[in-house]
Amino acid sequence: MLLSAPPARAESCADVCAGSPAPRQDVPLHPMHESEFMAGIEPVESLHITAATPREHMQRFCSNRHTPVIGYLSYTYGMEQYDIAAREHSFPAGLLRRYQCVVTGCTRTGRLRLLADRHADSGLVDSLCRLLQAGSPEPPRPHTPVTAAGPLRQSLTREEYQEGVRQTQRHIAAGDTYQLNLSIRFDLPLATPPDTTALFLHLWLNRPAPFYALLHDGPLTIVSTSPERYLRISRGTVLTQPIKGTLAFDTWQPQLVHTLTSSPKERAELSMIVDLLRNDISTRCRFGSVRVRDHCSTFVVDRLIQMYSNVHGILRPDSTPLDLLLDAFPGGSVTGCPKLRTMQIIDRLEPHSRDLYCGSIFCFNGPDHLDASVAIRTGWHDARTGVFSWFAGSGLVTDSVPENEYAETMAKARKFQEALCP
Amino acid sequence: MLRILLSDNDDSFTMNLAHLLHAATGSTPQVVNHTALAARAPAAEQDLVVISPGPGHPDEYPCYGPVLQSGRPVLGICLGMQIINCHFGGTVKALAGCVHGKSDTVVMTDADKTLTVGRYHSLHCATTGTGLQVTGRTPQGLVMALRHNSLPLYGYQFHPESFLTAEGVWCIRHALRSLHIL
Repeated sequence: MLLSAPPARAESCADVCAGSPAPRQDVPLHPMHESEFMAGIEPVESLHITAATPREHMQRFCSNRHTPVIGYLSYTYGMEQYDIAAREHSFPAGLLRRYQCVVTGCTRTGRLRLLADRHADSGLVDSLCRLLQAGSPEPPRPHTPVTAAGPLRQSLTREEYQEGVRQTQRHIAAGDTYQLNLSIRFDLPLATPPDTTALFLHLWLNRPAPFYALLHDGPLTIVSTSPERYLRISRGTVLTQPIKGTLAFDTWQPQLVHTLTSSPKERAELSMIVDLLRNDISTRCRFGSVRVRDHCSTFVVDRLIQMYSNVHGILRPDSTPLDLLLDAFPGGSVTGCPKLRTMQIIDRLEPHSRDLYCGSIFCFNGPDHLDASVAIRTGWHDARTGVFSWFAGSGLVTDSVPENEYAETMAKARKFQEALCP
Repeated sequence: MLRILLSDNDDSFTMNLAHLLHAATGSTPQVVNHTALAARAPAAEQDLVVISPGPGHPDEYPCYGPVLQSGRPVLGICLGMQIINCHFGGTVKALAGCVHGKSDTVVMTDADKTLTVGRYHSLHCATTGTGLQVTGRTPQGLVMALRHNSLPLYGYQFHPESFLTAEGVWCIRHALRSLHIL
């Protein structure tokens, strides 16, 4: 496996988007099981996106038919598109990046493919070829817990979060919103920089999910362990897979699935977001093409049972995957509905900047193929501050119980907390 | 082809409604934000103005008076129906135990038909305005559809464009027949 290999050169550093590892017998297979991965090695060109970056510039960058593009969009980019002033933050609004070499592969078949840019360094290509032909390398460096340099900071306390739930419910009663996703930011100061590659591999192997990513952007190293697809667009066929409705468990029991899918509250949570995502892809899909399939399906991830639906459409001929990515942004499952007013309320309720959290991490494999995750279960280390940050949140509705929503949020946050400081 | 103006109240279901209107009529609606409505003097150029759902109370949307007084056909959805109701003196109040993203049954009295619909609302028409006639209710009696007795105005409180509504195209065509457009 390339991911566990030492870098081709000492100074090389790969950006990776990875599906789930090969399924294990003791873990229920994720029905969105994605076995493909992509690793970009040695950037040749990067475009840092700001709110003012013209769409044509991004389109040109993504239209290269020869080498894939890996990138991200921060939630704050979406705020600016909706004219909501982002609070002070130091996280870029977005990034597009092309590489000298890209390795693609499949964890199910073990097949690997190396794509090299025309101007790629021949030494790099040769060393990667040798590495890929060598077969299984050494096992990955073991992940070890970090040493904290201070206490874990939480942007909202238990009581503040629960008050946020109650305030949201007052907004719901007034007709301002149907559902609102309220999050907490966790900041852990570290004594030394973490081995983010080891952390990424530890989580990927032990807490599999279909949309993992490891990205490097200046002082930021991003580890995303998302279970949620925002958009897949392939030759005009659009798929979005909103997740809403959660049941945490300690011991897996098959009847728990029925407990979740028979809950009117959880079903309504998902239905609202399905209608919102239908709307968002309809901005760029052909009339009559938008369909909902497999409503209230379930999968298991992070010791949670989660419900999701498949929403399909056909892209209009006058639109590109980038058009839909930008027009539907940010993903509705992490804002709430209606989107504009709900985002305005979120901005008042959350004291923190979401930065990349609730944005998207994506790959363009040519201009007609896009796969994008919702950047949840995502954290990053900022070398400027020495802080590792992660987030968790929950979808709030009229019949939410504040204590339960807080417990769900903390259950989602445990993934990073347990890995970093068990 | 019908000329349809769809006024968007900053909602997140407006494009679903545009797709449903196209499915029901074959026409592509022109979507404008409600804040641009006054500047367009649109009613005279349209066969139909559709007022989208949206957040908040009808009092927040004062731009619709001229449209509702123009004599041109208007279809209001959710907030749009509440706007019609308030314009004619009806009241819109908080609904105890508001309903979002859930299916319900609506009995249409002007079509002898029972519908399965998707509901999204925190507010409801507590009293109906002068000249308005209720044409659909839930089994509990909540107002789910209404029309004006003499003006071409029709409203649905439920969301015909939701995937939870089984016969959205029928709902649009039924309203357009009532408005003498079809």
